[in-house]
Amino acid sequence: MSDDLLLSLLWFLPFVGAMVVLLLPKESDKAIKGVSLGITLATFVLAILAYRTYVSSPTASASMIERSQNNSVKAYEEGGLATEVFENVPGRTSGEKDLLVRRPWIPYFNIQYYLGIDGISLSLVLLTGLVSTLACLASFSIEKSIKGYFALFLMLLGSMMGVFMSLDLVLFYVFFEVMLLPMYFLIAVWGGENREYAAIKFLLYTLFGSVFILVAILALYFGGGDSSVPVMINGAEFKGHTFDVVLLTQAMSADVSWYGRSIQQLIFVMFFIGFCVKLPSFPFHTWLPDAHVQAPTPISMILAGVLLKIGGYGLVRLAWPLAPAGAYDWSYPVAALGVFSILYGALAAMAQTDFKKLVAYSSVSHMGYCTLGMAVMNIADPRYYAYGVNGCMFMMIAHGITSTGMFFLVGVIYERTHTRDLKKLGGLLNLMPLYGAITILIFFGSMGLPGLCGFVAEVFVVLASFNYSPVLAVLAAAAVILTAGYILWTLQRVLLGAPGEATHHHPLPELTVRETIIAIPLVAFTVILGVFPQSLMSWMSPSVDESVRMVAKAVNRSGSDTAKKLAVVPPVVRPTPADAAAGE
Amino acid sequence: MKWQVGLYVVAVLVPLVAFVVELFAGRILKRWNALIATGAIGLSFVLSLVGLASYFGNAEGVFAHHGAHAEASEHGDAHAAADDHAAPKADDHAAPKADDHAAPAEHGSSEGHASAVPPPPLIWSGEFNWVALGGDAMPGEARSRQSNIDLVIPFGVHIDNLTVIMFSMVTFIALLVHLYSMGYMRDDPRFPRFYTYLSLFCFSMLGLIVSKNVFMIFMFWELVGVCSYLLIGFWYEDKKNTDAANKAFITNRVGDVGMLLGLGLIWAYLGTFDIDEINRSILDASGRHNVAMVDGQEVVRLIAPAGEGAEAGKPLIEPATNLPRQIPLWLLTIAGLGIFAGCCGKSAQFPLHVWLPDAMAGPTPVSALIHAATMVAAGVYLVGRFFPLFTETALVCIAYTGGITLFVAASIAMVQSDYKKVLAYSTVSQLGFMMLGLGVGGRAAGLFHLVTHAFFKALLFLGAGSVYHSVHTYDMHALGGLQKKMRGTALTMLIATLAISGVPLFSGFYSKDAILASSIHFVFQEGRYEHILLFLLPAVGAAMTAFYMFRMWFLVFGGEARGFTPEQIAAHEAERAAHASAHHDDHAPGHAHHDDHGHDHATDDHGHAAAAHSHGHGHHFDPNPALHAHESEPLMLWPLYALAVLSLVAGYPLSILPIPGFHPILESLISYGEPIAAPDLGASHLLAMGASLVIAVVGIGAGFLFYSPWKQFRKLDPAWFARRYSWLNEFLHKKWYFDELYAFLLIRPTLALARGITWFDKRIVDGIVNGSAQATAALSRFEGFFDKVAIDGLVNAVARFTFGAGEQGRRLQTGKLRDYLMFLALAVVGLFAGLIAWVMGSGGNV
Repeated sequence: MSDDLLLSLLWFLPFVGAMVVLLLPKESDKAIKGVSLGITLATFVLAILAYRTYVSSPTASASMIERSQNNSVKAYEEGGLATEVFENVPGRTSGEKDLLVRRPWIPYFNIQYYLGIDGISLSLVLLTGLVSTLACLASFSIEKSIKGYFALFLMLLGSMMGVFMSLDLVLFYVFFEVMLLPMYFLIAVWGGENREYAAIKFLLYTLFGSVFILVAILALYFGGGDSSVPVMINGAEFKGHTFDVVLLTQAMSADVSWYGRSIQQLIFVMFFIGFCVKLPSFPFHTWLPDAHVQAPTPISMILAGVLLKIGGYGLVRLAWPLAPAGAYDWSYPVAALGVFSILYGALAAMAQTDFKKLVAYSSVSHMGYCTLGMAVMNIADPRYYAYGVNGCMFMMIAHGITSTGMFFLVGVIYERTHTRDLKKLGGLLNLMPLYGAITILIFFGSMGLPGLCGFVAEVFVVLASFNYSPVLAVLAAAAVILTAGYILWTLQRVLLGAPGEATHHHPLPELTVRETIIAIPLVAFTVILGVFPQSLMSWMSPSVDESVRMVAKAVNRSGSDTAKKLAVVPPVVRPTPADAAAGE
Repeated sequence: MKWQVGLYVVAVLVPLVAFVVELFAGRILKRWNALIATGAIGLSFVLSLVGLASYFGNAEGVFAHHGAHAEASEHGDAHAAADDHAAPKADDHAAPKADDHAAPAEHGSSEGHASAVPPPPLIWSGEFNWVALGGDAMPGEARSRQSNIDLVIPFGVHIDNLTVIMFSMVTFIALLVHLYSMGYMRDDPRFPRFYTYLSLFCFSMLGLIVSKNVFMIFMFWELVGVCSYLLIGFWYEDKKNTDAANKAFITNRVGDVGMLLGLGLIWAYLGTFDIDEINRSILDASGRHNVAMVDGQEVVRLIAPAGEGAEAGKPLIEPATNLPRQIPLWLLTIAGLGIFAGCCGKSAQFPLHVWLPDAMAGPTPVSALIHAATMVAAGVYLVGRFFPLFTETALVCIAYTGGITLFVAASIAMVQSDYKKVLAYSTVSQLGFMMLGLGVGGRAAGLFHLVTHAFFKALLFLGAGSVYHSVHTYDMHALGGLQKKMRGTALTMLIATLAISGVPLFSGFYSKDAILASSIHFVFQEGRYEHILLFLLPAVGAAMTAFYMFRMWFLVFGGEARGFTPEQIAAHEAERAAHASAHHDDHAPGHAHHDDHGHDHATDDHGHAAAAHSHGHGHHFDPNPALHAHESEPLMLWPLYALAVLSLVAGYPLSILPIPGFHPILESLISYGEPIAAPDLGASHLLAMGASLVIAVVGIGAGFLFYSPWKQFRKLDPAWFARRYSWLNEFLHKKWYFDELYAFLLIRPTLALARGITWFDKRIVDGIVNGSAQATAALSRFEGFFDKVAIDGLVNAVARFTFGAGEQGRRLQTGKLRDYLMFLALAVVGLFAGLIAWVMGSGGNV
């Protein structure tokens, strides 16, 4: 399959699927469910195909910059702004098997239909495929107007895929906004008793955030141009007025800067606030507990498993690479905010009595590690910073798996007992041994037990932060106590002890076959990623490392005076000349 | 890679394979789980013996460390050569002089280097990159210097003399505990699951021992912690047990934060986790930290160790950054204390000791294996493994921590009436001894005590289990006279008691003596009189140990069966009545739904009931349990015999007589290839021996005066002392109020903070969100009002239409959607206005 078609199908197929579902007769439940599951699975298979291509083809795993040149479709014409004309350049490498699609879309504004996959996006595309498939299976217990439900579900899937693959800021923004609507309706129609409040809160919060993102995008398009020397990139002069993420990334780390320090600070703050809402990070997190509690189980799975990652992905792909100097100047407050979110989320989780809310707050805590991992910008030895960002990416995947599992497991109990009140649960390990065993494993994975996926992420981020600020690192490390506290306390209240009140009045059958099938992949990945992190890192980290190198280069280029400005002591003691001589 | 590395990898992985099999096939295998688990650990034990033999067969100069001349003649030529090699060191010369002394050629040293540093010990190791990344993040010039500059976290095994000894000890005790549990746990409904957990524990513990780097140790550290959690809460129907499990895990996590701090600092500054690499390169030729002054700061540098030819002594350079690998001295101290904090958690040292006594909620074989012999010793083991990391300041802290722990725990143990709790506090106290030994520089002494203690404490716990199995109570005041009914248990327990009390010719004497000698050397011979407490605490603590152990043995085994007091019996009856009615209430609905849902649940309910039955207060309450005691079955007794033999002989020196300069074999094996040359203790040994004897006599004598079953010795009445010093009695009974203090200082504030944050989240953060929505709504209403009043005349009709439409919209929307959207629109407009103003303001030149 041509990779252009592959990438396009990845987001388009679910939309086609949504149309098909809408055309099906209302009564044919099975057909609707079957088609939806089939389409979701097919999307997942496409994602796996993309993975196969990525790891097998050297052209696909080459750096994004190299690939973008092979796929270049634009030529500068003489004179004027925003008048670039796109045309196919004969003689270029065709860009086959390189997982990049590039076509002019709205040439007047330099907007492209530009999709591409590298290690960073591929990991999340795969996660989206997996979580959506499991969520689709979990959706089989939905009873209310399933036609609409599955149509919206598929639209959600398509737009999420689009977000992760877009390399044009406008395209990204479009997918980003399109994604909100199905989510809004899925919560507002199929949610719990207070669903409308939760849905509108989710929608407006996210719209509030996307305004900031839009401003950042426009600032990138219109801003810059301070330098007196022409900025040359790929042998052409760069003059701003582009939404091309790859090109902009290059512009940031070019030898001469098109974007000044102050505009980078602004762009960074705008991106950061925008994606913080999605992540979510304190103080923009309060939509999350409401949305989770009200959303139906499969939507909670998607919400925690994929949607939150869009926030993190935006930070990794856009906020840092497209405003590196700004990010560096803001890194300490951002890292502190990350640590604060970790502690805040963990403490809030500890005080919850609603099972689902507890898991929701644990997401706030875990996503704090993502913020921290990205913010520990030790430019002196970027390898440690690379550990931080890799830890952040790993956290997204690990949290995508464990939190999906946790919400699913909460849903299983809610379906049986119709309560999420921890005070009414208890003793489930004896009543449902398989459920209990899976719950213990997934929750331990979330707690960061070595050998399970959460550990790798947490420990990478914490270790990396020691090279940035030992104080923040110790605070972040201290959160493992709180995490252990709320996870163990939860397990004790749900699984151990005497059977709780809610277990008396409701039948508690063991997991069904369908439920077990949903749980198995989550359990498997929790263990596999924990024991063999390199199975993910080996193809993900080159892209992350490259991104880190670009950022480090950009920061170093834009002046080391900021190192003094920061209240961070560079941890590595500089060698005296005598030492350097001794070391030669 | 040597075949022995493979051997040890297999020995570690066998229990893991067993665990996986038991986990997935447990429902089919049922009781066969026990055999699989036992077979696996048995195989590991056999492999470890092969490894042990192979190691000491191949290692040169094992016995050369101390008093080489006394032993040289008894050994082969290889040893003799190695003896020569180490001879200069035994003379305790200053480093440069020793250099002269050891002319290289004479000793046939292939490397040709000569120094006071002993020959590098035999090490088998191998590793692979578990995670390697970051290289691509370096700028081009760094990558051009060296192609592979990834920052690596490797996985690997490191086998040295300490490892092989620990490995054999752990597999041996684990094997015995597996066998013993077949008897002890026979009637437990979750018998198969017990073995599943044990297999996981064995894998984690063995992995911890062979770990090559401290990162791996941290991983296995947490894994043994989780096994401990699962086994403490094994009877999880009872909230008390799960509370204890949570307490154990969370307290350990407090220590783990310190450990993470240590790990992070080491990694950030030295760029490696490898214990051996750091051990060898952090010290200079004189065995001190290699300190240099950089920017007016004392900095410890990694240097190429002796044995690297011309490079030896040069600072190590990090290839990627071209900077020397170094850490400020004060941060190294903090890193060391951080690692030690982890050890404090695992080895139950003050102030994190509170979890271990509660951990006795688990089955007794688990207490013997995990909470006495192996896992809790891991902290001591790590301090010993990573000994050169700790700066002098850190070592003094370690010594004081150990001293305080041993004293506090021993004092609490003296008043406990639950014999398992006595053993628990005794364990804490003995671990304190080991830490103190390490802290005063007696690395081999502390680790030696670790091994001997493992034998006799495992024996004590298994013996206690044997007693409980027979009498079903832990209250030793209700027992007595058991030596007549349980001869084997009583005798083996007596051997262990003598060993732990430090009676000569028993293993504990030699190891405790070694620790005392180290502390005497540290305090008196090196003239650190301000640290006199480091001698007094272990001396007093050792006497207390002898006292409470004899107290326990006399109360349980000596005299006549006493039975419960009438008050206890009455209280029990009342509790049982209450329990029965509660039980009834609890189970009525349970039965109802098991009628609904068939037989799956029937077994579970049954299991639950049975668990409560056999380990709750028991249906067969016996007012005088010791009267009807019976000896345990052979499956439980033989492990006791095996351990009794080792408790006796593990400490023996080559010559049984304690002549000057003698050395227990085990200690020699441990001190072989020590990273830091041990000080020559000289006269300290004799002093320590004298002190040990006095201490043992005082402690045991006090035990006889208070508790001996024979009237002619029993001159003092403990009850009178308890009344006379009731405040002290109360203080000790309340365990120095640590639990209350932590609840007041830590737990309650944390929970209050958690509630506070939830309130803040709901009222303040969400309040602002909802408030701004309401404000927008109010603004839009005001706008509507303004429209109506001010512009009324002019655009009356339009205004009315708009407002009416708005009203209609509001009714249609039923929510506040319109208001929200208005707010959103305003925000967008405001932001854009701001942006445009800003862009214009800076002259389009941003």
